[in-house]
Amino acid sequence: MIVTTVVGSYPRPDWFREYLRKVAGLQKDLDVEIDIDVLRRAISEVIDEQKRAGIDIPTDGQLIWHDFLLTIASRLEGFEMNGLVRYFDNNLYYRIPIVKGKIRRVKRILHDFEVAFEIESKIKAVISFYTLTKLSRNEFYGSYEDMLWDLCDAIREEIRYLESIGVKYIQIDEPSILYAEKRELEFLRDLFKELTDVKSETILMTYFDSAERIFPEVLDFGFDTIGLDFVEGYEENLKIVEEFSFEGINVGIFDGRNTKMEDLNEIRERLERIISIGNFKRIYVSPNTGLEFLPRIKAYEKMRLVSSLKEVFE
Amino acid sequence: MKTTVVGSYPKPKWLLRIVKMYKDGEVDEEFLEEAYRDSVKSVVKDHEIAGVDIIWDGEMRREEMTSYFAERIEGFEIYGEVRVWGNAYYPKPSIVGELRYRDELALKDFLYLKGITDREIKVPITGAYTIVDWSFNEYYKTKEDAVYSLAEVLNREFRELVKVGAKYIQIDEPAIPTHPDEIEIAKNAVEIMVKGVNAYVGIHMCYGNYRAIFPDVLDFKVDQIDFEFANRKFEDLKILKEYDYDKDLGFGCIDVHSRRIESVDEVKNAIRMALEIVDPDRLYVDPDCGMKLLPRDVAFEKLKVMVKAVEELKEELDI
Repeated sequence: MIVTTVVGSYPRPDWFREYLRKVAGLQKDLDVEIDIDVLRRAISEVIDEQKRAGIDIPTDGQLIWHDFLLTIASRLEGFEMNGLVRYFDNNLYYRIPIVKGKIRRVKRILHDFEVAFEIESKIKAVISFYTLTKLSRNEFYGSYEDMLWDLCDAIREEIRYLESIGVKYIQIDEPSILYAEKRELEFLRDLFKELTDVKSETILMTYFDSAERIFPEVLDFGFDTIGLDFVEGYEENLKIVEEFSFEGINVGIFDGRNTKMEDLNEIRERLERIISIGNFKRIYVSPNTGLEFLPRIKAYEKMRLVSSLKEVFE
Repeated sequence: MKTTVVGSYPKPKWLLRIVKMYKDGEVDEEFLEEAYRDSVKSVVKDHEIAGVDIIWDGEMRREEMTSYFAERIEGFEIYGEVRVWGNAYYPKPSIVGELRYRDELALKDFLYLKGITDREIKVPITGAYTIVDWSFNEYYKTKEDAVYSLAEVLNREFRELVKVGAKYIQIDEPAIPTHPDEIEIAKNAVEIMVKGVNAYVGIHMCYGNYRAIFPDVLDFKVDQIDFEFANRKFEDLKILKEYDYDKDLGFGCIDVHSRRIESVDEVKNAIRMALEIVDPDRLYVDPDCGMKLLPRDVAFEKLKVMVKAVEELKEELDI
């Protein structure tokens, strides 16, 4: 049985962009006061759109996330935001977070997710941990490990909170982990185990590259499901599936960064191959990345494609 | 030692108003056309008063540097906007078919400008590598194929421009330094773009890591490379020194990301550093990048400072 989902981000509705422009300007910081009713309306629209397209487990679309790090960093104590830096191999830029003091969770991080959770409880929360430390600049901690532990504590508190309100799916996005060194992976195991020790289903999402470098270590991180990017690394990730055994997989198989609509037959063959050589109890299918890289009408078409794939399978 | 600009200049507020009125259906195309022409005149006048030697029209018609061209080239389609950072978006084109020459890109603008000024003119057009890098590719097997196809299209435009009298073309390629691993593709693309183009050709780059594109960039088939230096506190000049830089140099020495107006002395000092690398007759002094994001009076003041610095230096050096 295949479950359709998305990775996280979704294009903002035009009117919501206009609204943000009015209240925040182009690049205003972080914790902009957003009218809760406006936010609810925008998130509703995006959740509806995902469901209409046939997505079984939608996200809140990360609509107030100016970039992938800002929302998390700016709601934690200890970070300040600096100039724009290129986000991986994308024509997309993020403000680099600078660690200036001890990292602490002083308020809820995913307050926008909570608004979404009130609208729809079958929804996935998305957060990040290790990647935030890799894409930030540390000007406070004497050791990188200390910074990781403090951030881990903060993110764990948030995850525990999400668990306590009954969130079923918690996804941790870690594109940077694909480039971690072997030594580091062993150390990370203890940290991730802290994060994944919850009743909710935990999903590790990787993208922009293949994941062969993090296996087998990642299998001990405690995740229920591991997301792999089969657009950027089909052959390599296929080998992973062949070589290692894990129960839950998120197959990122449609290109979330190209407006081209894939040939469904080709994708079906690929998916069949992946499923037949693995031994999975849970199979999620999604685009390989968040959909904010696409114009909104194409983001919708991509989701339709994801659900058509499911129909073909059934 | 001549002064020039990279291309864009702040649009007059009234032009922005009229463009909006046009989009809202309140004025017709003729009304808008007249506004465009008048705005070019006023921008040209600013440049002339400031004393810039080689000018362009301030790019009054271009809202953005990828889709403006994509809209005029066969094979592109624009589905909508995508985010580039924060809450800032741009219409990102998709390549959906074979890229082919359809409409002129800068020919009319050039001819109009030629008719209203006696200054030397530079024609900036976004290069093939950058347009493809900033587009989706649905059609070509590889990015490389798309880049070369587009380079052919631009080559035709450049040749048309030369036919009607253009003498100086600038290829804008800000995306090149962001992908040093594809420098070979970019280099080949430049060769296609300039093939049979009998004009002085410069290439403008900003953003990214310059060190990563040296020394390869010295093999590009262009007369001049124009870099931003002020924004990076002129530190990149040492890269040029290390690699025995031997092309004409477009020397970006005015920070377009800051509203602070440079002093004449600091600009002169910067130019002196550039003169350690190239002779005065190979130096083109300009702002780091297009000036469109600055308030108009600030842009104007900055240009005046730049020109004054060059004039004083020329006098001091007796050139």
